[in-house]
Amino acid sequence: MMPAFRCIVDPIPVSSPARRLYLTPLVAAAIASAVLLAQAPALPNRPGTLKFAAMGDNGTGDRAQYDMAEQMAKVHGTFPFDLVIMLGDNMYGGQSPADYVKKFEQPYAPLLNAGVKFQASIGNHDRPEQVNYRLYNMGGQRYYTYTRANVRFVALDSNLMDKKQLEWVESTLRDAREEWKVCYFHHPLYSNAERHGASVELRVLLEPLFVKYGVNVVFSGHDHVYERIKPQKGIYYFVSGSAGQLRKGNMAPTEETAASFDQDLSFMAVEVAGADMFFQTISRTGKTVDAGVIHRQLKPGATMPEADRASLDPHVHQ
Amino acid sequence: MANHPGGGSDRDDTPGIEGLGVVPAPTHGPVRRRIRRWRYNVPRLSQFAVEHLLLLPLGAAIALVWANTDPESYYRFTFSIAFAVNSVAMVFFFALMTKEVVEATAPNGVLHPWRRALLPVVAAIGATMVPALVHVRVVEALEEPMLNVGWPVTFATDLAVTYFVARVIFKIHPAIPFLLLLGIASDALAFLAAAVLHPAGDLHLPLGAILMAAALAVAYGIRRLRYRSFWVYTLSAGVISWAALYLSGLHPALALVPIMPFMPHAGRDPGFFVDARPTARDALSQFELVWKYPVQVTLFFFGLVNAGVRLNAFESGVWGVPIAVIVGKPVGIFVAVGAALAAGLRLPSVIGWRDLVVIGLTAALGFSIALFINDALLPPGQLRTEVGLGVLISLVAAPLAVGAAWALGVGRFSKH
Repeated sequence: MMPAFRCIVDPIPVSSPARRLYLTPLVAAAIASAVLLAQAPALPNRPGTLKFAAMGDNGTGDRAQYDMAEQMAKVHGTFPFDLVIMLGDNMYGGQSPADYVKKFEQPYAPLLNAGVKFQASIGNHDRPEQVNYRLYNMGGQRYYTYTRANVRFVALDSNLMDKKQLEWVESTLRDAREEWKVCYFHHPLYSNAERHGASVELRVLLEPLFVKYGVNVVFSGHDHVYERIKPQKGIYYFVSGSAGQLRKGNMAPTEETAASFDQDLSFMAVEVAGADMFFQTISRTGKTVDAGVIHRQLKPGATMPEADRASLDPHVHQ
Repeated sequence: MANHPGGGSDRDDTPGIEGLGVVPAPTHGPVRRRIRRWRYNVPRLSQFAVEHLLLLPLGAAIALVWANTDPESYYRFTFSIAFAVNSVAMVFFFALMTKEVVEATAPNGVLHPWRRALLPVVAAIGATMVPALVHVRVVEALEEPMLNVGWPVTFATDLAVTYFVARVIFKIHPAIPFLLLLGIASDALAFLAAAVLHPAGDLHLPLGAILMAAALAVAYGIRRLRYRSFWVYTLSAGVISWAALYLSGLHPALALVPIMPFMPHAGRDPGFFVDARPTARDALSQFELVWKYPVQVTLFFFGLVNAGVRLNAFESGVWGVPIAVIVGKPVGIFVAVGAALAAGLRLPSVIGWRDLVVIGLTAALGFSIALFINDALLPPGQLRTEVGLGVLISLVAAPLAVGAAWALGVGRFSKH
């Protein structure tokens, strides 16, 4: 953490009058605290916990995606997550074998080489054939489930929420015995971004199942911003659709919004430690734009307390 | 519209609102008189709405407003009635459309003999294949390849709306039966594509085939026994046919389509979309007399259930359907008719290339059939919403067709 602190403070010229002010112990301590909290993964980062990242709308193949991927690799250096959940629109434009290299394998090569496993869901810009791409680990299925530690992950295809998929969701959630149930898919059930907003028809179909079977957290993309929604019927919803695309200034926060960030690309780092799920949203420049902890609900339908810790960035709306 | 014949002493001679024949509500007077006015005006307004096919667009307009103002209540309500509307009530809409086709293609029908249909059927192949190809290419180019699945929607032609627009442009002209036959063939291909390539559920075709064979046998037996009531056909063969389609995984709204040809029909076709005489005794005419108004109510709810798309779901892929049908239909008809003429078929002498352009644009009006195919193909979600928006935008084909007719001097705009 100290290098980051020095990097910020040291460039102030020795002769500058400001130096005397900045280096007074009180101010220096305040700056240090802010920099430490804003720049570094502040999750508990305990050994043996489940650590994963969440990103959506990433596959542009342009400079911004590569910058974001570099930041993810940096975070991985201090916060060794071994799973990335992909929230759809994994690839924009062409989706030839060369595009898979340019828009996925190259930017995330450091993570792939470190053994990080990506588990994708598909969005409206993805080709259906992506389900067969080995590194997306979808097993040829539009929707699928898997377990990591004490967490049951359920990846859905929100493009085509047919009867068969709904029945599968219900049986999967009903039978899941893990302590945490996490669902993720492309189109958000709640969103206050101006461009798209919530997919209300999906909410009408899915939310009753999520409530009935005790889903804890839902991650989505589609809107190219970050938003944390206040718990809805006991469930936490995150929109994280800006790991490659950004719609700057597109947020229109409402009373549903717990926090949001629409000034730069971002992704989420998440850690599940027993009954707590810590989350930290990190921008392309490495700034923490939102962070907190979710306490697992004890039974389906129970109301969960608000996230403990709020954001540290002025762009975050409370 | 004429005044109400039973007006009696309360009859008001105030001129009606132009085009409606509606008597304005009184600003004073006893309650009884006001009630009588309502009883007088409401049925006339209803009749006007039915005759001018206004209930479907009215339902669609309400759906658009509702879905964009209070989406949660809209979706809760429409999801709860979607099956009853789309899979049960719409059976009678498709039955009525089939009734028109059966009568028109029977001996003495306006579309008889079938060999007249050969060229329109060939044109329909072009009017479906080219838009489908255009759609696939456009949604790929617009970076929404997931929408590829919606290509059968581009096949659809709304016969009623198309007929309405064609009559406005052509009045009475051989282009109209050509257009209707083209539309019928296109819709048949649309249903086939949707049913075979994207069934509503898991396919159980052997079971469906057995039940459908039973339904046809029952219909044939009833015909042999000379039953005249359409209820007998509907409640026996029709119910079995519905079960056959439903249990086989195909859309049951088409249940009466194979049954209608077995019903006795009048010896002479009154014309396409011409109301049956109230005194008609044959089964098909009786069917129309009973179901004409309920089907309009059904269409209102069909529009309400299927046209409620949220405008914030707009993505570039929305343009796939409008571009495909507005560009693809005229081009497809040109290509197919050109190939047919090269193969030795003949166009009616009064139909030229200008008419074909206008016919192509008019055939691009998929509306109710396109929304139906969209519902049959795609479950609720982003893709269905985008295709639905595209279908609604495609309605711009109506003014485009009228504009093209005006620019090209076709139909009522002809200088000859």
